[in-house]
Amino acid sequence: MSFTRLVTIVGFAGIIAALFALEFLARRPGSKIPTGGQWLGYIMRSRAGRVLVLLGWWWLGWHYFAR
Amino acid sequence: MALRVPPQRRNPDHPMDAEPGRARHWARIGLGFVAVASYAWFAAFARPFSGAALISVLIPGAVIGALAYVWPPERIPPPDKVDLTGMSFWVIAIAALFEWEASAFRDNTRTWHPSLTDLINPLLSSHDVKSAAIVVWVMAGWGLVRR
Repeated sequence: MSFTRLVTIVGFAGIIAALFALEFLARRPGSKIPTGGQWLGYIMRSRAGRVLVLLGWWWLGWHYFAR
Repeated sequence: MALRVPPQRRNPDHPMDAEPGRARHWARIGLGFVAVASYAWFAAFARPFSGAALISVLIPGAVIGALAYVWPPERIPPPDKVDLTGMSFWVIAIAALFEWEASAFRDNTRTWHPSLTDLINPLLSSHDVKSAAIVVWVMAGWGLVRR
């Protein structure tokens, strides 16, 4: 495996780990960081936000399962 | 000797008397999971870029969309506001993910700069993994509909 490929993979893994860490930190009592569900819910308060988020969800499924 | 309480004297607030409702609730959840898992199992057979694959994601999308707008479930109340500083951490992490993906896509060298899709596709080549991923995707959609 080339060094560049390794750096790319480590970069992705680090970012994904950071997202999981954020969710974990958000669930601590008194945390000011919103959980993923909370900020998605905040965006989905409006009809437009709801449509956008659901379209994004569907696009992810199309991208990984239909392509 | 156990006494059987006649139905008309049941207290719906008592946990023992509420058991039939709870059992029905869990039965519905179990049936729903079995239905989704069965659908995911067959959907995972679809070849990429085929009509069947497109239809296999259109159907859950249509069902989730219909649930969201025609038969909406009880929604989890959203927060009135989110802390900007806390939210900025999410924005930074997601922006970094998009940037890393975009740089890999721009470099267009799968060997040296694979995109996230290039890394995930070999995992999804397994039927079991792809089925499980479809189940997770559909459950995520249901979670979003409840938000």
